Amino acid sequence: MNPFTYSRVVDPNEAVTGIAAKPQGKFLGGGTNLIDLMKMGVETPDALIDINRLPLAQIEELPDNKGVRVGAMVRNSDLAEHALIRSRYPVLSEALLSGASPQLRNMATVGGNLLQRTRCYYFYDPAFPACNKRNPGSSCGAIDGYNRIHAILGQSEQCIATHPSDMCVALAALDAIVRVRGPKGEREIPFADFHRLPGNTPQRDTNLEHDELIEYVDLPAIPFASRSHYLKVRDRASYAFALVSVAAALDFDSSKKIKAARIALGGVAHKPWRANAAEKKLIGQPADEKTFRAAGEAELAAAKGYKHNSFKIELAKRAIVRALTTLGGMA
Amino acid sequence: MNTPTVGKPLTRVDGRLKVTGAATYAAEFQRPQLAYGTLIQSAIANGHVVKLDTSAAKSAPGVVAILTRENTPGFKPYPDDLTKKGAPGENRMPLQDDEVHYAGQHLGVVVAETFEQATYAASLVRVTYQAQSPIIDLPDQRAANTATTPEKFIGREDLQVKRGDADGALAGAAHKIDATYSTPVENHNPIETYSTTAEWEAADRLLVHECTRGIKQLQRILAACFGLPVEHIRIICPFIGGAFGSKGFQWSQTLLAAAAARLLQRPVKLTFSRSQMFDSAGQRAQTEQHFTVGADKNGKLVALRHATTTHSSPISEYTEPCGNMSRMLYSCPNVDVTHRLVKLNLTSPCPMRAPGECPGVFALECAMDEIAHETGIDPVEFRLRNYADRDEHQNRPWSMKNLRECYERGADKFGWSKRNQKPASMRGRDGSQIGFGMATAIYPAAQQKAGATATLNQDGTVVVRSATHEIGTGTYTAMSQFAADTLGLPVEKIRFELGDSAFPVAPNNGGSWLTASVGPAVIGACGELKKKVLDQFGHWPNERELSSLSAPIRSEFTSEPNKEERGKFSFFSYGAIFVEVHVDIFGQTRVKRATGVYDVGRMINPKLARSQIMGGLLFAISTALFEATIPDQATGRVVNSNLAEYHVAVHADAPPEFDIDFIDKPDPHMPDLGARGIGEIGITGAPAAVANAIFHATGKRVRNLPITPDKLI
Ligand SMILES: Cc1cc2nc3c(=O)[nH]c(=O)nc-3n(C[C@H](O)[C@H](O)[C@H](O)COP(=O)(O)OP(=O)(O)OC[C@H]3O[C@@H](n4cnc5c(N)ncnc54)[C@H](O)[C@@H]3O)c2cc1C
Ligand code: SF4
Repeated sequence: MNPFTYSRVVDPNEAVTGIAAKPQGKFLGGGTNLIDLMKMGVETPDALIDINRLPLAQIEELPDNKGVRVGAMVRNSDLAEHALIRSRYPVLSEALLSGASPQLRNMATVGGNLLQRTRCYYFYDPAFPACNKRNPGSSCGAIDGYNRIHAILGQSEQCIATHPSDMCVALAALDAIVRVRGPKGEREIPFADFHRLPGNTPQRDTNLEHDELIEYVDLPAIPFASRSHYLKVRDRASYAFALVSVAAALDFDSSKKIKAARIALGGVAHKPWRANAAEKKLIGQPADEKTFRAAGEAELAAAKGYKHNSFKIELAKRAIVRALTTLGGMA
Repeated sequence: MNTPTVGKPLTRVDGRLKVTGAATYAAEFQRPQLAYGTLIQSAIANGHVVKLDTSAAKSAPGVVAILTRENTPGFKPYPDDLTKKGAPGENRMPLQDDEVHYAGQHLGVVVAETFEQATYAASLVRVTYQAQSPIIDLPDQRAANTATTPEKFIGREDLQVKRGDADGALAGAAHKIDATYSTPVENHNPIETYSTTAEWEAADRLLVHECTRGIKQLQRILAACFGLPVEHIRIICPFIGGAFGSKGFQWSQTLLAAAAARLLQRPVKLTFSRSQMFDSAGQRAQTEQHFTVGADKNGKLVALRHATTTHSSPISEYTEPCGNMSRMLYSCPNVDVTHRLVKLNLTSPCPMRAPGECPGVFALECAMDEIAHETGIDPVEFRLRNYADRDEHQNRPWSMKNLRECYERGADKFGWSKRNQKPASMRGRDGSQIGFGMATAIYPAAQQKAGATATLNQDGTVVVRSATHEIGTGTYTAMSQFAADTLGLPVEKIRFELGDSAFPVAPNNGGSWLTASVGPAVIGACGELKKKVLDQFGHWPNERELSSLSAPIRSEFTSEPNKEERGKFSFFSYGAIFVEVHVDIFGQTRVKRATGVYDVGRMINPKLARSQIMGGLLFAISTALFEATIPDQATGRVVNSNLAEYHVAVHADAPPEFDIDFIDKPDPHMPDLGARGIGEIGITGAPAAVANAIFHATGKRVRNLPITPDKLI
């Protein structure tokens, strides 16, 4: 770990001024990802600004039934167990509880979870010479290397990493809004625009600026999200990142045809993958396996696998079918 | 007289120390003036170091010394017997040349006032290499060029064995299978990482705190390498936080810590990070095992050929002995067992839990499942038809064998008769495929020379000592039981001490021989003590008599295996393991039930025994479904060198309950108590039981471990 300064802030403006003055500085949330990466020498901030005392740890209803506002410092376990979340957005609760371990969830914050970095092996260990995300221009070690956990959708020749978060897959399906504060004030970032695809700049995971602080995540009111579900496929029963995951919610009309659908995939792309093509396929259709399979096929039509991860394509289709079947069964 | 404790489920005598954190592990010993070392490691896997630039590291805060090839004293060679052909551990002395044989190889040590400073400074060392592309794969032609066919495993077991005419028998066999199984590199990953604290008490006296399960061996290694008398080296190790085959043998970090301490004239501590557990001191080699098996129309084996290819590093000859159990587990007139060793640019392999038996019996027991399926005979019935009534390899009777009873009791408890023999025929309510699988477990029951002293103190306590180890298996407890029972005292009156090289000789902790080796020494020493005391007092002294003792009464005993008995019989422990798996549409496998019945001789402590088997079974589930160390093809570096990406079984992967049972009959030919080893047997066979159950569930035969979802969808 390289030497760094440490300071603690209690006010969001102080946090923003502090980070603006430190181009190499980082906010410290739960530290479960950042400290790991610092130990590995992947992240080398010269200053840590501890934001754990910011007054951003509440979960509250927005006025006029507009939804729920979640503070950036809310711990993953608190969010998962909160009554509002469990009743209105079960997909989010399930996604959180499927992630990491209880100890990690007790530390991990909403803001930090949004910004956790890829688990790509070549990114995580600086002794690997090639990684465009860690060291732009050094090429991608995974594309011809061991790429079992890598992307099948939206990747580029420069980077085939995946975003590892479970929580964010649920947030993508729920059309969450990320509210941030920078030196020039506050702004809102729709969830679909928060994380980026790698393109030619895989070093940039998100559209958040260095001097911006995540303050809240707003969950819009989606009445049918009370019938939503998160399905995670993984190598062991717990404490493993998703090979593939699905966050889904379905709404039905009076004739039991699908009226609205929200689907997002995890483990398949550089960002939580909103499955627009699959959603489109479902509208107006009966909730049966044939429909679900067609939706899966539509979404994965553009998928491309590599030496070790091609199995994810079929896995993702099956996961879509199973998640939707589970929801169909609740109708 | 106190009632005997042997056979009783005593709770660990060191349990309280452990759960309260009061048990002191190697990295926790604080020494005055301690400095901290961090390894400088090679980023390449094949080639040599051109330049090692330490200028930036030297001026980093807190750095007190940097040990590299340039300022390292020449170490004298390792003791001969440790580097002879096939021995585990490395034969190259550290920092003696610029060659690099695998990624992570130690190139030096940075020593600083704190661990953090040392780690940071080590990251500033710049190494220039001349790199060659590493040889990583068994099938690589460059690896084939290095192939040898080693004769013996660590100078003991025959690795190339031929009995009868396998080719001829195969030609006429009614049923045949031909299959290749492979197992990956695995790492031991005990929770406690390696740690060494070296301290020169005088110019020629070295004190080392290290988690080693080879105290006496490490003492000999350091004496040889520093050219000192053995008694000038002292090794202390009261607790080991798991080993599973690691923490034995000669690896470079102990020498480097000792050399750094000498250079600095202050104690130096060197503790591995988790990722260093993957590249710095041993791992299980990958194996490729080709089976050709023939049976007659009644399901009687007529030929069994088991050809193993495995690897070592360029600086070790250690050979994973996969075929040893294939020589004799079943009755078969024509047997052909071979081992082929190639050299790869991967960390030097060494034993890992049931070396040879774990991958070897996995392949053997899958092959038996396949041939049973081929002949249309139930797998348990098939094994009974091929039951070996004597060891056909050594041509000797078994010391004792109750394997038949293991099969029968196990099948009964598990409900094996409910198994529909047809693969992919059973389904759960949630749509998952259900499979029942079984396998035989087997592990040699060895014994080694060991000594102990016993001392009766004026306060009535008896201190028993042996230079043995506590790797978490329950040595403190079992030895206290032996002492208490021999002396007729309550266990509370016994203090068993281990983990000090000044104590009487004990073997490396391995091969599941600890209890059978050190037990007789403890019983012997306590027996002698009792005799001495009774000679003096005519009875066991009361408090008053004890307090008037002018000096403690002491005895010593060394036990050796009975050569004649060991030559007459063949010694093994056995078991039968049955599992139920559920496989879902995503290829996720869950082990729902596991029933194991084991024949391990007399039960010393059923609670400890159950824990040992349970740990072995968890390890086996892990082996079957999760564990694999994956080297990057281009660089030879391990891609998953952490516990987030190298998966071991977690709680959620365990079946709700392990149904573990023991035959509990003393082996008449094991000394004193009739107890055989009970460490490694749990991990043998069980991975095959899982793989066989997966075949039964899905109809898919996956022959390469681990069986991850991608192989099943
Ligand atoms: C072994 C292991 C297993 C795991 N398994 C899973 C899993 O299965 N599923 C899963 O989803 N996750 C998993 N995780 C990841 C875990 O969810 C993340 O590490 C965690 O969510 C990060 O949150 P944190 O608060 O600790 O972030 P930190 O480590 O503190 O920060 C991460 C990043 O976010 C930045 N940051 C934090 N808060 C803010 C803010 N308010 N504004 C701006 N920037 C901010 C920091 O500067 C840093 O760059 C696992 C982690 C580990 C170590
Ligand atoms: S996939 Fe992305 S993160 Fe991984 S090596 Fe390639 S560039 Fe780096």
